[in-house]
Amino acid sequence: MIPEIGHILLIAALVVSFVGSVLPFFDLASKKSYSQSYIKPFSIFLFLLIFFSFLTLIYSFLVDDFSLTYVAENSNTLLPNYFKFAATWGAHEGSLVLWTLCISLWLVAFIYSKKEVDNAFTSVTFGIMSQVIFAFLIFTLLTSNPFERLLPFSPMQGSDLNPSLQDFAFTIHPPLLYMGYSGLALPFSLAVAAMMTNNIESSWARTSRPWSLLSCSFLTLGIGLGSWWAYYELGWGGWWFWDPVENAAFVPWLISIALFHSLIVTEKRGLFKNWSLLLSILSFAASLLGTFLVRSGVLTSVHAFALDPERGLFILGIFAFFIIGSLVIYSLKNYKLSPTSIYDLTSKEFGFLLNNLLLVVLAVSIMFGTLFPILYEAYTQGKQVSVGPPYFNFLIMPFAIGLGLLQGVGLYLGWGQTKNFSFVSRVAIEASVLFIFINIVLYLLFGKFNSSAVIASLLFAWIVAGNFLDIIIRGFQANKLRVFISARLGMIFAHTGIAFLVLGIGVVSSFSSEKELILGPGDSYDLEGYSFKFEEINFQKGPNYSAQVAKINITDQEDTLTLISEKRNYTASNQTTTEAGIIAEVFKDYYVALGENVSNDNWSFRLQIKPFVRWIWFGALLVAIGGFISSLGHLRKGS
Amino acid sequence: MHPLRKQRIYAITAVLIGTSVALILVLNALSKNMNLFYSPTEIIEGVVKNDSLIRAGGMVKEGSIIKSSNSLEVSFVITDFKNSVIVVYEGILPDLFAENAGVVVQGRLGVDGNFLASEVLAKHDENYMPPEVYKILEKQNDS
Repeated sequence: MIPEIGHILLIAALVVSFVGSVLPFFDLASKKSYSQSYIKPFSIFLFLLIFFSFLTLIYSFLVDDFSLTYVAENSNTLLPNYFKFAATWGAHEGSLVLWTLCISLWLVAFIYSKKEVDNAFTSVTFGIMSQVIFAFLIFTLLTSNPFERLLPFSPMQGSDLNPSLQDFAFTIHPPLLYMGYSGLALPFSLAVAAMMTNNIESSWARTSRPWSLLSCSFLTLGIGLGSWWAYYELGWGGWWFWDPVENAAFVPWLISIALFHSLIVTEKRGLFKNWSLLLSILSFAASLLGTFLVRSGVLTSVHAFALDPERGLFILGIFAFFIIGSLVIYSLKNYKLSPTSIYDLTSKEFGFLLNNLLLVVLAVSIMFGTLFPILYEAYTQGKQVSVGPPYFNFLIMPFAIGLGLLQGVGLYLGWGQTKNFSFVSRVAIEASVLFIFINIVLYLLFGKFNSSAVIASLLFAWIVAGNFLDIIIRGFQANKLRVFISARLGMIFAHTGIAFLVLGIGVVSSFSSEKELILGPGDSYDLEGYSFKFEEINFQKGPNYSAQVAKINITDQEDTLTLISEKRNYTASNQTTTEAGIIAEVFKDYYVALGENVSNDNWSFRLQIKPFVRWIWFGALLVAIGGFISSLGHLRKGS
Repeated sequence: MHPLRKQRIYAITAVLIGTSVALILVLNALSKNMNLFYSPTEIIEGVVKNDSLIRAGGMVKEGSIIKSSNSLEVSFVITDFKNSVIVVYEGILPDLFAENAGVVVQGRLGVDGNFLASEVLAKHDENYMPPEVYKILEKQNDS
């Protein structure tokens, strides 16, 4: 009964979103404003319908209702309750409902950030958002209904949640990522509404900017968590694989960064209007394309759920409707371009232009590498090809360097043109001191230099000098430290976060060490001066798995650290997973993955030391925090 | 020159330089890092150029996995049910590697015709078949 209620709620949401999708446009066509007073209750009603429908799905998981196909395929009575709850978004159907829930949450947040819905711009934005919700609801109901029953022969036991997803990071990674993905629908809707209501001149950019930054911040958190999860859960010690699905999140991330930087120029100077509009469309296109890539199985990926051309085609249809539709509106809009200001090569505007150019060209190049296998297969009639990580690693380097260099000085460029260049020597001196200091530390830690680490530390020093050190120093000198910082708090966090991210990547990819070998109990191996000793291995039983648990002692000169590394076999699915043993320190991680039983008590191991790997996620966290501070600050001011 | 026109020239020049540099980078990177995928049949037929980094895939043949007892060396046979190729690998295999399951390997073809794998690719899901392998098996069924 409960699942039927959930199903009906979802159908009701479909009807409500349909009404919401058309009413504002009747108003627009007849130049009336009947619908405006209904929009607030309408959006909260829509949200609640989807929310309660989602709750019934969670409930079905918690009570082990295996008469639902979706529950039977992704849960099990032995699964701990916490994971039953998270299994709701463990596969395709449930994550689609979550996606729709996220976007309706964005809609409510946007509508309620306004005191009053009193203009066509807001009501048309509501209409476009409703259309997106409608499209995803109809997709869910027609191709991926989570409430489908398995009757009359429903199984007594479910086939379990994929073991590698039975993990804390997994439970929060999808909701955050979907918040980011679906959040990009809002700048998109705002841009289309701005074009339809001819509202390009005034409030559009100011309204759109914090929202695009907010969804970008969610994407940052989601991607960062995914990277952390892959690092400890997959047992390889890698934190980024250039997997198509990772790229599918990375590309919208890059474009959304370009978008809110471009919106700054549009808001402050009235420039780059067309470009900002186009980027709003492009970022939602990238988000939809990402969804398509994840869900259709057209690409080989560790994430691909299953080959399902029908779902793929449906998403492609949604993609075509929104993107082609908005591009048509974009090309039809007819207002005069009237640049309000002039800028030259030393201006902040030009800095932003380069920033956008680098970000968007990088995003397109990554998308191209990701989609190339499909193009190649179509062109050669079925020859299959893959594009490896070296392609992406090679490509991202020059862009990262360019962006980092811009980031260090962008803050000091003046609108129109830069008159005072004294910042160059200041930042250069601060950066040099920092650079030398870091390289001494790196040399003391690793006893050698490495070119990528040197480049990374140079970028780190440059960005931190320009976005943090110099602000502090100037604030002190002017006796206005608080004013200096509070005006730029979000940006300081986010830009410094990028610096940490870059340094972490540079160091971990230069100075990691790894050894795969066989050890018996009592054997030890010396890796980079640290002795890894395999003490013992024991059999243990967990709630829904059995495990071989190895104890390893790691000794440097004086201290001994103990680490536990597991090999688990999940009972219901008979699937094996590696639970790597990790000791996390500020400057390095010890990482031990248990392989398999080779003979007697001898086991294969993968021993790794990953220096500075934490800095990557710490950096991503700072970026997200900065984004939240800045966007929420603007939203508070704006209302 | 009119400042507005100058401004447009700056922007257009930056975009042109940016995109053409990127295009060169992309093509260069792509030509070096493109790994073609072959089925065991194609490898036996000798269409693979020697010493290029390639991918191959198929089902792991039952009873073909031979593990060394004192090193991490392992060999197994991949098949598309028409032809088979021996794969040699040294290292820890992914958790989902098993007999009668689809697998994708990356590496080079040795002079003896064995596939020397540098990487054995892991997938999340036990039921999941790598799309490449799925496609070659489908092709075998058709012919």
